[in-house]
Amino acid sequence: MAGADPTLQQYRRRQRVWDALESRYVVHLVLFLAVLFIILPIVWMFITSLKTRQGVLSPAYLPLEPTLAAYDRALFDRGFWRAVVNSVIVASVSTAIVMVLGTPAGYVFSRFRFRFDNAVFVFVLFTRLFPPIGLVTPYYRIVSTFGLLNTKTGIIIANVYLWLPLVIYIMRNFFITIPTALDEAARVDGCTKIQAFRHVVFPVVLPGFAAGTILTFLYSWREFLFAFTVSTDLRSMTIPVATFLFVGDAGIDWGAMAAAAIVAVIPSALVVVFFQRYIVVGLTGGMKG
Amino acid sequence: MATEDFRGDVGPHGSGVTGWISDWVNDHIRTVLLGPSLVALFVVFIYPAIMLVWLSLQNTRGFGETFEPTYNYGRIFGDPTFWNAVENTLVYSFGSLFVSVAVGLVVALALNKLADDYLRDTYTTLILLSWAVPLSIVGVTWRWMFNGQLGVVNRVLLDLGLLSSSFSWLTSSSTAMGVVVLADSWSRIPFAAIVLLAGLQSIPQEMYDAAKIDGATTWQTFRHVTLPYLRPSFFVAGLITWMFAFRAFAIPFSTTGGGPGGATETLAIYIHRFGIQLLDYGFASAVAVFLVSVTLVVAAGYVYFILERMEEIEV
Repeated sequence: MAGADPTLQQYRRRQRVWDALESRYVVHLVLFLAVLFIILPIVWMFITSLKTRQGVLSPAYLPLEPTLAAYDRALFDRGFWRAVVNSVIVASVSTAIVMVLGTPAGYVFSRFRFRFDNAVFVFVLFTRLFPPIGLVTPYYRIVSTFGLLNTKTGIIIANVYLWLPLVIYIMRNFFITIPTALDEAARVDGCTKIQAFRHVVFPVVLPGFAAGTILTFLYSWREFLFAFTVSTDLRSMTIPVATFLFVGDAGIDWGAMAAAAIVAVIPSALVVVFFQRYIVVGLTGGMKG
Repeated sequence: MATEDFRGDVGPHGSGVTGWISDWVNDHIRTVLLGPSLVALFVVFIYPAIMLVWLSLQNTRGFGETFEPTYNYGRIFGDPTFWNAVENTLVYSFGSLFVSVAVGLVVALALNKLADDYLRDTYTTLILLSWAVPLSIVGVTWRWMFNGQLGVVNRVLLDLGLLSSSFSWLTSSSTAMGVVVLADSWSRIPFAAIVLLAGLQSIPQEMYDAAKIDGATTWQTFRHVTLPYLRPSFFVAGLITWMFAFRAFAIPFSTTGGGPGGATETLAIYIHRFGIQLLDYGFASAVAVFLVSVTLVVAAGYVYFILERMEEIEV
């Protein structure tokens, strides 16, 4: 749109185009198309998961006789239910460890000056920005040395590495928004420093803590690279890894694969629907502006 | 909390062992609250990172490990499949960056125009759904949609008369790359949109009022008010999107497995192939050191930017 001084006429024409673009109808049309683009792949997976084996191969768009057979096949014939249990355990334990370690650390970074404090904080950011794929090879070596291949512990440790720096950073940003006067008032009232943190400042930052918890849980739930590297059997496999069970020599059981995918998506989707605001806050993690 | 009257033999936190512990904790609050995290990071990050550098200096082909510092690094640059992976990674990461930030901007502008909060939340929730799908599932989903025989994309195009016969998207190299970039963008659009929307919402209304009073056209307002204010958000959304696409493993791996013929093999898949599948730890580690270096040079700029921001927040 760059040009030397446009004439008045050109100005008016452009103005009209832009005003049209700003109209309510265009806004809704854009959003409608965007939503369509976002949800159609998920909807298609859902439709596929309801089809019979023959239905998947037929050119019909909708399942002619909707059935849960694919779910039954996935969950029980192939033992996918074990992956669901593993995922719940791995995500819960990882989230608990990361939140318990990361929240106090974020508090310290938001409140106290100490020697090399900036350097230590930059180190935490650095850990967050380090590409995880870089650590996969040595991690595999270490995990096998300690006999943790095919264990949930191996996957949980990886999750702690992946999300702890993120939580420290997010929690620090939440604590920063709370005036230090609050801590000082608590100290004047006779609280110890720990009590000021636990009973006075922490309750105020609870929404942030919830955002961090939800985000960590989702991230641990969906983590693929390390889980895929560490686990090769159903004793420790999480859902994202176990979907590959349906790729066999005889081809791919698309119905079961789709059912597994829907099982993986349901909790994430529910969290998004119910905690949308928290996620938005978490994603922009204290990125003010 | 000690509520008893103050007596000489009682410290500020009560008497006995608990009092002493409480005292110690109070005096070493930073160590107590931050120490565990740093110890954890040391175990789960620094130790493997040192191991990475050490492994990259070993010759691990065949049996045993011998210390040959230049062996793997020498091999990298002579390997044609390495350069193929670098090229794929660049196409993939920049493709995903442009698509997600462009679409994200349009979505953010539209969301920002909605006056009704409830409506905006509803739309945001629907758009966030693709972000909620685990990356490996994203890959599986797109692999299924673009399947040559049974894929819904072919079916729709055939029904609309846009295709005369089924086309196998994932077995020709250029379209396979297109599909994985689209799949990657699909999962990152929500993030870009939300970061840009936060940027839009932080623009003071006075700026728009002033522009109106000055008789600025809609385009001028967008060009001279909205875009300059959005610069930091563009920077954050673009950089983070690019960084994550640059290290992408799950989406290309589960969509095409790096195929056809290595056409979508990103550096991450390349590293995984050598390190985990072929067990050539040394070479995989050397390539990983290369990938990490590139990312960190870019990330250093980002950290610098964050620290700049920190000053602002703390003032």
